[in-house]
Amino acid sequence: MTARRTAARDRWVTLGVFMALAAAWQALSLVFTAEAQPGEPMVPGWQVLFSRTLLSMSDYFQGGFGIRPISEGGVRSYPAAVLSLLGNSADTLLRLAVGWLAGALAGTLLGLAVSWSAWSRRLVELPAQFLRTLPLLAMVPLFQLWFGSYFIGKVAFVAYGVGVLFFAGVVNAVGNVPQIHIDNARTLGAGQWRLYGSVVLPAILPELRATMLLSLGAAWAAVLGAEYLGAQSGLGYIIVFAQQFAFLDRMFLVALLIVVYTSLSFWAFDRLSAWATRWAPAAG
Amino acid sequence: MRRGAAGRFAAAVDPLRLAGPVLLAAAWWAMARALPPSLLPPPLAVLRRVAADFLAAPELTYYGLDNASLLGSLLYTVQNVVLAVALGTALGVVGGLLAARIALLRAVIDPMMLTAGTIPILIAAPFLLIWFGVGRGSAVALVVFNVAVVLYLFARRAAANLDPIHEAAARMLGATPAGAVRDVLLPGTVPEILGGLRIALAGAWGLEAIAELLGAQQGIGKVIEVLAGATDVEGIMAALLLLGAVAVVADALAAAAIRRLAPWTTPARLAAA
Amino acid sequence: MIALDHVSRRFRRADGQIVQALDDVSVTIAPGEFVCLVGPSGCGKSTLLQLVAGLLEPSGGSVNVAGQVVRGPAPERGMVFQRDSVFPWLRVIDNVQYGPRCRGMKRAARLALAQQYLERVGLAHVARAWPRELSGGMLKRVAVAMVFANGAEVLLLDEPFGALDYVTRHQLHDVLLDLWEESRARTGRRTVLFVTHDVDECLVLADRILVFRAGRLVDDFPVAAPRPRTADSLLLADMVAHRHRLLAHLGLERAAPRAIAGAAAQ
Ligand SMILES: Nc1ncnc2c1ncn2[C@@H]1O[C@H](COP(=O)(O)OP(=O)(O)OP(=O)(O)O)[C@@H](O)[C@H]1O
Ligand SMILES: [Mg+2]
Repeated sequence: MTARRTAARDRWVTLGVFMALAAAWQALSLVFTAEAQPGEPMVPGWQVLFSRTLLSMSDYFQGGFGIRPISEGGVRSYPAAVLSLLGNSADTLLRLAVGWLAGALAGTLLGLAVSWSAWSRRLVELPAQFLRTLPLLAMVPLFQLWFGSYFIGKVAFVAYGVGVLFFAGVVNAVGNVPQIHIDNARTLGAGQWRLYGSVVLPAILPELRATMLLSLGAAWAAVLGAEYLGAQSGLGYIIVFAQQFAFLDRMFLVALLIVVYTSLSFWAFDRLSAWATRWAPAAG
Repeated sequence: MRRGAAGRFAAAVDPLRLAGPVLLAAAWWAMARALPPSLLPPPLAVLRRVAADFLAAPELTYYGLDNASLLGSLLYTVQNVVLAVALGTALGVVGGLLAARIALLRAVIDPMMLTAGTIPILIAAPFLLIWFGVGRGSAVALVVFNVAVVLYLFARRAAANLDPIHEAAARMLGATPAGAVRDVLLPGTVPEILGGLRIALAGAWGLEAIAELLGAQQGIGKVIEVLAGATDVEGIMAALLLLGAVAVVADALAAAAIRRLAPWTTPARLAAA
Repeated sequence: MIALDHVSRRFRRADGQIVQALDDVSVTIAPGEFVCLVGPSGCGKSTLLQLVAGLLEPSGGSVNVAGQVVRGPAPERGMVFQRDSVFPWLRVIDNVQYGPRCRGMKRAARLALAQQYLERVGLAHVARAWPRELSGGMLKRVAVAMVFANGAEVLLLDEPFGALDYVTRHQLHDVLLDLWEESRARTGRRTVLFVTHDVDECLVLADRILVFRAGRLVDDFPVAAPRPRTADSLLLADMVAHRHRLLAHLGLERAAPRAIAGAAAQ
C-alpha cells in the first residue's frame, strides 16, 4: 500500500473513531440519566449540550453589544451564550498569546545573549536546569501573590513558564551548532552579529522546534492553571466555577472547546515550524 | 563557540558551572534587598523556614491540615507521584507496545492518544475532582492519565522505529514470539521509553501539586494553598524549594537509571554534558 | 606574503592526551604562489590551513599574512573546508552569495556573481535547490563556488576536489587556475594553499610542493614545468622525478634515499 493511501485510510479511521466516541457518549447519556441538579445531567447528550448547556453559558456573560448580563437582570439567550463563549475564549487566548510571545522572545534573547561566550554559558547551565525542573504549576499562587489575579499576573505566569523552556532550549541548541558552519561564515567575512543572524539562528531552529511545541503545551497548562486558581473570566474560570456546583455538562462543553483550540494551535504551530525548517534533512 | 570536549568528571568539577547556582542565589538575595520581605524574602530566610517547618509546623495545624509538617506533606506528595508514575508507566508502555504490533488496536487508540498528547491534561482535573472526590484518588488519576499518554506515545514510536530486521533475526535464530518480545522488543525500546519516563516524571510534580491545590486534604500543594490564603510568600517559597529539590533529585535519579539500564545507546552528547 | 615562523600547535584530546599537530614549522610563501601541501593522514595539513585562516591560534611561533599577524578569520583569506560546510538552511544560490552579502554588495550584483560561479562549477541548474537535495560531490562544488565567488586574495583549499569524479575534478582544476591567474591589484596573482592526497593533481597544479610528516615540514621543492599543464606534462623527465620523490615520501616507493637527501639539502 502506498504511503498516501495509508495516510488517507488513517484519516478515515481517525474520523470513524471520533464519530464512534461521540455516538458512545450519546448512548451513555441515555443509559446514565442521573442529574447533578434538575436540568443539569451528569452525562449530557449532544442535544442537551447544544441547547440547554449552551444556553447556560449566558450566565458567564459580562455584558456588551446591547445585551444585559444575567447579574443585571438579563435573560438567558443564544446570542448572549455565544457572545459569552467568544468573550471568555478571547480572554483566555489573549493571555495565552501575549504570555507565550513575551516568554518566547525574552527566553530566546536571554539564551542567545548568554551563548555569546563559552564561560557565560557554563555559568548559567545549572541555574537554568534548576529553574526548568521547578514544577511550574505549583507556582500559580506565588505569581498571584506577586502580580495579583489580573491580566498581567496570568501573562507573567505564562511568560515565565515559556521563557524558562526557551532559555534552556536556546542555550542547549546553540551549544550544538556545528562548528564548521561557524568557521565557514567567519572565513567568508561574517562578523559576530551577522554570525548570530545568519548562522546561529537558523541552525538552532530544528532543535528549537521541539521546544516550541513543548512550550505551547506548557503555555496552555499555565493559562488554565492560572484561571483555575483565580480569575474573573476565561474558559478555565468557567470550568472551575461550574465544578463547584458539579455542572458536568457546562464543564464538558467548555473542555470540548479548549480541546478544539489546543488542537488548532498545535496544528498551526506545526505547519509554521515545518515551514521554517523546511531545509532540514528530516523535516518530520 | 567550541563546545568544551572535557569529560564528565572535568565538567562536574568545573568551577564556572558550580558558580552558577551561587550567582542565582546572589541575584535572588539582591532582589530581595530591593523588595519588601512580604513580597520576596531573602534566600536565607526561606532556608531557615524550611528547617523550622520541616518536622513540625504548628501554624499549618492552625489552618486545619492533618499533617502539619513539610516533611509529612512532602511524603504524601511523593507517594502519590511514585504510585501514579508506576501505574501510568505500566499502562502506557503495555498499550504502546501492543498498539505498535496490533494494527486494529493502533487504528482505534492512536487518534485518541495523539489528541490527548496535545491537550493540556490539566483540563481533566475538575472532572476528576467530581468523580473521585477530594482524596488521593483524583490527584493520582490526573498524574496516571498524563504519564500513560506520554509513555504510550514514546513506547509506540520506539517500537515503530525499531528495525524489523532484529526481530526477524531473533525469530530466525530460533526465538519464540514471546522470546522475541523479551530479547528484542523490550531492550530495543527501553532507551526511548526511559526518555519518555523522564519527561513524564518532570511533568508529574506540577500536576500533582496543582491537583492538590484544587482540592485535597494534604500534600505540599495543599500546604501551598493554605499559605497562599495567608499571603505567606516565605512559606510558599520554602514549600516550592523543597518540592523543586525533590524534582531535581528524581530527575537525576532517572537520568542515572537511563545510563545504567541502556548504556549502549547513551548519546555522546548526554555523556559529555 | 604568508610567513610561518617556528609555528607549532598542540591539541588536548578529551581523554587528556596531548597531540602535537604541528611541530616547529617555518616557511615563507611568496604572493601569487600556488603551493600544494601533501603528507599522510593526520600529519597536520588541515591544522596549518586553519592557522593561516585564523580559525586556530598557534601554541608557539607566529603566522603572518601580508605583513600582519593573523588575529582571526577575514574574508581576504577564503577557505574550502575538508568537511561539508555548506549552510543547509540556505538555498544553493543563497549559499554562494553569502560572502558578497557579508561585504554589503548590492543584491542584483551579488546574484549575478553567484549565478556566474554556479555556472563555472556546473551547478547553474540547481541554484534554487536545498543542499539536502544534492549529492556529496555537488555539495563540495557549492562549497568551492561559495569561496571562489568571495574573491579572496589567499585561497586555502583543504582537499576541495577529493570527493569528485575524474571529469568534474579536471574541469574544476581549470576553474581554479583561471581564478588564480586573475589579475589582482595588490599581488598580481592570488596565493593558493592546496591540500591534496593526489600526487598527480599536486604535480599538475603546484608551483611548489610542501611535504609534511607527523607535524613537521620534511620537504619543500619547486615544480618548474611550464603551464598550461596537461596529462602529458606528467611525462616530462622533471615531473617523473618529482613524482617518485613524492611517492617515496608517502611510503609507496623505496626511492633512492640520496636523491631526496640531496634535494632537501638544497
Ligand atoms: N580539535 C582537535 N582536537 C584534538 N585533536 C585534533 C584536533 N584537530 C586535529 N587534531 C589532531 O591533530 C592531528 C593533525 O590533524 P589534521 O586535521 O591537521 O590532519 P591532516 O593532515 O589534515 O589529516 P587528513 O589528511 O586526514 O585530513 C591529528 O592527529 C588530529 O587527531
Ligand atoms: Mg585534513
